[in-house]
Amino acid sequence: MTRKYEVVYIFDGALSEEQVNTHLTRFHGLLTSPESPEPVTQVSHWGKRQLAFRIKRHDTGYYVIAQFKTKPDLMKEFERAVKLEESVIRHLTVVNEGEGPRAPVVPKSSDEDGPEGDE
Amino acid sequence: MRRPSKTCPVCETGVRVVDYKDDRTLSRFTTERGKILPSRLSGMCSRHQRQLSVAVKRARQLALLPFIRGYTR
Repeated sequence: MTRKYEVVYIFDGALSEEQVNTHLTRFHGLLTSPESPEPVTQVSHWGKRQLAFRIKRHDTGYYVIAQFKTKPDLMKEFERAVKLEESVIRHLTVVNEGEGPRAPVVPKSSDEDGPEGDE
Repeated sequence: MRRPSKTCPVCETGVRVVDYKDDRTLSRFTTERGKILPSRLSGMCSRHQRQLSVAVKRARQLALLPFIRGYTR
């Protein structure tokens, strides 16, 4: 039995892309099982981004979002490895509700007719 | 006098699930201090308001949205 998950990592903003990728391959290697030989379905790099508030004296973080399918009992070890890795400032794992990549919500309210981006 | 009923801004766009990663949209449904707008003001249907509340809280954990906007130590 496999489930779909989505994880967002926030790496230290000082890390290079290669360093991030080596961490990612290590983490994602933990998810492989005979039932799901190719667990990771999608990885998207948001890159460096300003944090909304300081976390452990970091002002920027390198965001990576990964979607994968794996057995729930492998998640424990995966979470442990991610938590122990100090270059991951923060991470969030959620069960993917089954809707693939979603289009961003673009709300339109009656009192705003101007173009987007004038905040 | 009945007020004209507001329609849910999320339903209008035809999106079923509110995405916690879309911080620009989520921030439109927070106050200037970063609190979640009540559905009375946001006009959301209860289903999407519930999703919004979870999404904003997740976005805060990921430092996409501030817990308190304009707060500096």
